[in-house]
Amino acid sequence: MTSDVKLLDLSNVAIGIERRKRETLVLVREANFDVNYGEMVGIVGESGSGKTMVCRAIIGTLERRGASVIGGEVLFEGLDLRTINEAKWKTLRGKVIGYVPQSALAGPNPVLTIEKQLAEALSQVEGTGSMKNRSKELLDLVKIRRVDTVMKQYPYQLSGGMRQRVMIACALASKPKLLIADEPTTGLDVTVQSQIMELLREIRRDLGTAIILISHDLALVDEVCDKIVVMHAGATVEIGPTASMAKPRHPYTIALNSSRIDVAKPGGELLTIKGNPPSVGQWNPGCRFAERCDYKEQDCLVGDHPALSGKKGEHQSACLHTDKIGKI
Amino acid sequence: MSKRDILMEVENVSVTFDSGSSVVEAVKKCSLTVHAGEPIGIVGESGSGKSTLARVMAGLQTPSAGEIRFRGDNVFKGNKSFQSGNRNEVQMVFQDPYGSLNPQLNGLSAVAEAVRIHTKVGKDEAEHKALELLDRMGIGKLDALKQPRQLSGGQRQRVSVARALSANPTVLLADEPTSAIDQSAQAQLLKLFLGLLNDGLAIVLVSHDLGVIRYLTKRVYVMKDGVFVESGDTETVFNDPQEEYTKMLLASIPGELGKAARAKLKR
Repeated sequence: MTSDVKLLDLSNVAIGIERRKRETLVLVREANFDVNYGEMVGIVGESGSGKTMVCRAIIGTLERRGASVIGGEVLFEGLDLRTINEAKWKTLRGKVIGYVPQSALAGPNPVLTIEKQLAEALSQVEGTGSMKNRSKELLDLVKIRRVDTVMKQYPYQLSGGMRQRVMIACALASKPKLLIADEPTTGLDVTVQSQIMELLREIRRDLGTAIILISHDLALVDEVCDKIVVMHAGATVEIGPTASMAKPRHPYTIALNSSRIDVAKPGGELLTIKGNPPSVGQWNPGCRFAERCDYKEQDCLVGDHPALSGKKGEHQSACLHTDKIGKI
Repeated sequence: MSKRDILMEVENVSVTFDSGSSVVEAVKKCSLTVHAGEPIGIVGESGSGKSTLARVMAGLQTPSAGEIRFRGDNVFKGNKSFQSGNRNEVQMVFQDPYGSLNPQLNGLSAVAEAVRIHTKVGKDEAEHKALELLDRMGIGKLDALKQPRQLSGGQRQRVSVARALSANPTVLLADEPTSAIDQSAQAQLLKLFLGLLNDGLAIVLVSHDLGVIRYLTKRVYVMKDGVFVESGDTETVFNDPQEEYTKMLLASIPGELGKAARAKLKR
């Protein structure tokens, strides 16, 4: 492993659904970001911006939904994930790359006790000691108290936060290098949310696991991640280190930032983003944010979606008029 | 605020659920007052009883004890609610915009139906009024003719609000209206709520999102296990919380808002 091989590297990834008799429906076209070893990366964007699709591409479950990667490169430790077969996927998915799905409440299998659930995850990986002890260790890892009681319980007997912890425990069974958490706290209370975030932070610190956190809550991502990726209509529009992203350069991120409720004055002006994100299949030429943008000019409406400018690994923005924005 | 401004009084309301094998007291002796045009907030975690209280205030659930008065009249008499023609004045917007709209009706029909029921006008006039309401909520005619499944979560929620407004309410009960929608859609909805407040509508916002509560409300009630543990001026409660529970709640908000509270908690 050389130092310049990233854990995960996506460049110009396009994802589409092939349809009979009609042209392929493109869901994602310019997804660009990378993840270093042990890094915590946040992906934000509105519903339908392609966040979840990109994750599915990383764990190889797109095909189950009839979609596939139709362009670009998805490199995991230098290995092109587009070229590998299902047998190889089985050695990666759930082993080297862990996944915590979106719905915590529906996540665990309702007819298995927590012990069986964990045993199932653990049976896929080698380890020493009895299954029971290993399961207990996992529950300890995700800070579940009364471990012995919880092991015998069914998911319906647990709260949402506990269920999400169990899902994280399952994902951690194989000590993955990369953990993908897709909106892990949607539908959970703020207090539970902050506990889960604390847990993710500890996992990263103690196990060195790289984490991709998907969320539509900018404030949340801002607080826990090293790097932030902003997606709009299937494209990465801005990417940069968290500190630097406090001064966003893309009009979409700027708009997203000013609609943040935690920094707004009570009852004061809350800037909203005009219109709705463009529907899949109805993307205009040029910049797909142009319709909603305050800085739009004629050249925004033609050609391809703007590419990310700037040096990879630094603060990059996919806007033709970044300079202008900096000056306003 | 003078006494005649009082719209709704909730006095020592309790709600118990009896499932046969166990009895749960979801709301315990809660009291609050809603003044005309006032935005108030009820915050708490899941299971704190805040939604149950909102349902009681909307007349959808009978309290086991205590009294609710609207314009001085008792809301619950026997097993009926809102007897004196005030029914329309209290409207509710539900948490889940996916579940609260009829999937078969487009936005326009959904709102027009409500207008017809509430104001007893003809079909054309009802549609005209419905379009007006939808427009006020930022739903143009094109989107108004779409089925709920073709709309985004934020748009659906705005259709729900338009439908609630069709009854010309004086109190709008909003139960977690922003928890199922995006940040930008949330900002849009809150902006609309601000406009409604300016028009004199009282809003009772039930939420676990303290950011939303802080932004919109003037007075807040913090609920835990069915009891109001702290209440007061929203700004005061946020800047100088007295109860440990409130402090903890504030510290768990991500981002800027929680930062100050977390720093205080550490001290």
